[in-house]
Formats: sequence, C-alpha cells, structure tokens
Amino acid sequence: MPNVSRRWFPLGAVAVLAAAILAFPSLAPNPYILSSGVVVLNYAVLATSWNFVGGFTGYISLGHGALAGLGGYATGLLVTRADLPSFVALLVAALLVAALAVPLGLAALRVRGASFVIVSIALVLILLLVFQSWASLTGGSRGLVVPRPFPGLLRPEHHRVFFYLYAALLAVAVLTWWLLDRSRFGLGLKAIREDEDKAEALGTPTYAYKLIVFVLSAAFTALSGGLYALWFGDLDPVFQFSVLTGSYLVLMALLGGVRTLFGPLVGALIVGTALEYFKTEFGSTPLHLVATGVLLAVVVLVMPDGVLPAIAAGWRRLRPGEQSSIREMTAADLAEQRHRSRHDDRSGPQGDRPAAGETREEVHG
Amino acid sequence: MTLETVELRKAFGGVVALDGASVAFQAGKVNALIGPNGSGKTTFFNCVTGMIRPDSGRTTYQGQEITRKPPHAIARAGVGRTFQLCRVFPRMTALDNVLAAVRPGGFPKGLRGARSRSDLDRARGWLTRLGIEHLADAEARAMSWGQQKLLELAGVLMAEPETILLDEPAGGVNPALLDRIGALVRELNAEGRTFVIVEHNMDLVMSISDHVVVFDRGRPIAAGPPSVIRTDERVLGAYLGV
Repeated sequence: MPNVSRRWFPLGAVAVLAAAILAFPSLAPNPYILSSGVVVLNYAVLATSWNFVGGFTGYISLGHGALAGLGGYATGLLVTRADLPSFVALLVAALLVAALAVPLGLAALRVRGASFVIVSIALVLILLLVFQSWASLTGGSRGLVVPRPFPGLLRPEHHRVFFYLYAALLAVAVLTWWLLDRSRFGLGLKAIREDEDKAEALGTPTYAYKLIVFVLSAAFTALSGGLYALWFGDLDPVFQFSVLTGSYLVLMALLGGVRTLFGPLVGALIVGTALEYFKTEFGSTPLHLVATGVLLAVVVLVMPDGVLPAIAAGWRRLRPGEQSSIREMTAADLAEQRHRSRHDDRSGPQGDRPAAGETREEVHG
Repeated sequence: MTLETVELRKAFGGVVALDGASVAFQAGKVNALIGPNGSGKTTFFNCVTGMIRPDSGRTTYQGQEITRKPPHAIARAGVGRTFQLCRVFPRMTALDNVLAAVRPGGFPKGLRGARSRSDLDRARGWLTRLGIEHLADAEARAMSWGQQKLLELAGVLMAEPETILLDEPAGGVNPALLDRIGALVRELNAEGRTFVIVEHNMDLVMSISDHVVVFDRGRPIAAGPPSVIRTDERVLGAYLGV
C-alpha cells in the first residue's frame, strides 16, 4: 500500500537519524572528532530554534547568534557571579533571555522583510559592543571563563556527556516544532509567512503570534548557547556576538529546507560538518569562508527549496502512481468529475454545459 | 444598523482619499459601493477593516466602536473581507487556506491539531459549496485566478462572518463564474449575511444589490435602491458617464 509506505518512510528515516546520532560518540575515532560532533549538534539545535521564527513566520533573523551569546553569557555569569549550580544557571539563563526577548520582539517584529533583517543585525552589533566594553562584568575582550559542571570528568567523557545533552535538547526542540507545525497556532504562523495582512484580515492576531514564537525560539536558542558555555568553558564576545553565527544558521535552515521539520537539522549536519572540515583543511585562513560560500551557491542553484524538499520531489517522481496535484488533472478528468457529480446532484440549474466549459477554461487560464 | 461610518477622513500626502465619508449600510441586505476609480472605495474598505488608520472620523459595527481596533479584532467582531487583488496563501493547500480562518481560541486550545474532524468537515463543506472541492489538496498558487477568488471567499466564509465586504468580486472572472458568484451572494444573503460590495460591473451591482451607495471624491454623493440610483443625475454625471 502506497499510503502505508508514505507514513512509514519518514518514521524510518527519523529512526535511522536518531540511531546514527546516538551511536556517533561510540564510533568517533578520537576526541577531536567527538568535539566536532558536539559543535555540529549545537548548530543543529540553533538552526532548529531559528526555524521557529524563520520557518513558520518567514522572518529571517540574523540576530540569533546574539541570543545564543546572551544565553551563554547569562549562564556563565550566573555560575561565576551568583554561584548557581551549572544546570540551574542554564535554565534561569534561558528564562532571562526569553523575558528579554519580549521587549526585543516587540520592537523588532514591528518591521518586516529587509528591515527586520537589519534590526536583527543591529541587535548583534549592539550586544557585541556592550559585552566588549562592560569588562567589569563580562571580562570584556579577555573573555569569560566558565567552570565545568563535571570537574572530575576526562576530556573525551566530557565531550560524550555534552553530546548526549545536546541530542536531548535537539529532540525536545524538534518535537516542539512538530507540535506547533500541526497545531492551529502553527497554521496561523504559516499564514503569516504566506501573507501577513491577509492572515490579519482573517482574524489572526499576527503581532501576538509572532511575539510568542519569537520568545519560544529565543528560549531554545539561549539553552543551546548556555550549554555551549558549560561545554566549551570560555566565552569571547567576538565569537558569541557574531553576525556570522546568524548567517550560518540561515544557511543551514535554507539548505535543509525551512518548511520541513528536519530541514534545519539536516542543513546543520551538512554545513556544520563542512565548516569543521574546511577549518581543519584550510586552518585559520579565510579560505574556509570561501568554501562555505561555494557550497551555499551550489545548493541554492541546484535545490532552491532545500535538500529535503528536493529529495521528497525526487521520491515522488520515482512513484508516478501517487501524484495528486492540480497539474496532473487534465481538463477531461475534471469534466468527467463534473459529469459524475452532476449525476449525483441533479438540482444544480447552471451545472450543465457552461460549467464544464468554464472549468476547462480555468484549468488552462 | 450594521456597519456605519461618521466623517471618515484619510489623506495620503496631499491626496485626499476620504473626505468626511459618512455612510450607513443596511443590515441583512446586499449593499453595493460604486464610484469612479480613485473615488476612495478601497481606502474606505481599508479604514473600515482596520488595515489603515483614518486621520479622523469613527466607524461603528452593530453600535460598537471599531475605529482604532486592529484588523484581526474587527474580523473577530464578525466582519470578513476579500481583497481587490485576490489574496490567498500561495504555498498552502486549498484546504489549509480555509482552515487558517478557524479561530484557534487561546493558549491550550491553539495547540490542538489544526485538522480536527469538525473543522475539516466544515472546510470541505465550503470548498464544495464553492465548487472547488476537487482542488482541496492543491497548493493555492497552482490554481487559476478564478479558482483563487473562490478559494479566498471560502476562507472568509469559514470564519463565519455576519458581514462580508467584497472588493471587486467580478474583477477578472469569466461570465459563467460571474453568474455563480452573483447567485452565491444572493444565497448567502438569504441565509442572513450582510454584504457590502465594491464593484464596477454595473449589471452585477444592479442585479444583486438592495442598496447602492455612490462615492465620488472620497465621500458618498447618493444612496438608495438600484432603480433610483440608475436615474440619479449626480450619479450619471460622476460615474455612469451619460
């Protein structure tokens, strides 16, 4: 049955993906590769969090790097200055960033399109200045050292624990996105992406919707950033508040496919792995940025909707029996359908020839 | 009284689009709003539905002030509208386009699945009534102009508005479809819905409306039943060009 395979194929793919992620630490040949795995999963969580705003509402934020940076610094400062236990600090930090996201969202979500992108970049640059200049609190350019949550752990074990923590966070983020995607709230968000004024005219309180999902996205982003602070142990404003981070997230999400649940995750796996690979290949030269740019250009040219939609389209092409879009319906099919329904319902006074002719016209027009 | 405006005024820079428009539409009737291009009809719609803010003046709906309310609040008060250049959600299926008009209803309810049995039945019901049920799973952008116009109307109806504002329902549709839209408006009106229709197609206006308001230079210059409007000197001069 085609229906059964359509339902089971995604589930199987998810199971394989989950198994691959869970098995990775055992298969990683050395601690360096394992640490790269942590970096890639960090990107996966960030890209999925970004997609709460970008994928649902279509608002492209380049500022999510700053939200992750805020999460990282808030976690680090709560540990070092307030002596909170590491993971309590992480949760409190995420709540603080979520609270801060309310006024940020109220301001930024008033504008659309390119203006929103610019505002989100401004957020990164402002925070970079603040965290560099406010050295008495943040350590400024010297950075902030965050004590590790498990001091007794050896380095490979440390990576392994954080790899699984990230995998768990990723699972929660993906599950939350899935829940929203199928909900009424999610449908309203997608309507905003398609046509915000139209959604508003249909009764969707668009501003409130955007704000809620922005705050949710900020909370997940902050959790990922905070986890990074606890794992890496050293924060530098230049890296925490970098427009490049936000750009990477956009790249990953677009590459994987923003309208799909696992698009950003898959994009992060590809781009994150490529970034790590290019960094080892080209070292500290800017060549790794060039290589990333080339990768983006190639994918955008070949698969403008992203990798996952391209694969789905290819899959459908292999199974011609399942097609059911408007394009595959010929005028003759439609006329026949009309004919059949006319037999079912003989009451329609204007259901005869004009209706059939009009249908044909509409299909071609 | 249903929808009523008092001295609505709106200027874009030096261009006065609405110049103190006071209009009262009739509840339970098919009202038409006609006038030359640039006479302020669409601006009037946009002010009434909250899409743009009037510079001054007031709008009431069923006696309640709605002048400064956001568009979604006005929609929820029971006023639905279509757009002059028909607007649908292009990358969503026809079914989702209609389901998007369902009121999610607050925090826990909003997280429920968007495809509940009852909502699906209602959505399919509207698609069927508008004759596009075979396109339920097609993306809106793949549909023809006429089909998109029907889809937009299906979405508006899904929200169960008591009053429906149609901005040029006949624009760019073929004669057979025009008849269908006209018949549909009369049917829905018979079921108790009030209509306000901006339209240039005089045959349609005169055949389906009970009450006609004529706009010129941002304000009404005449109002009355079609038979009276058809012979009104001011209307003939300003609009019908006789």
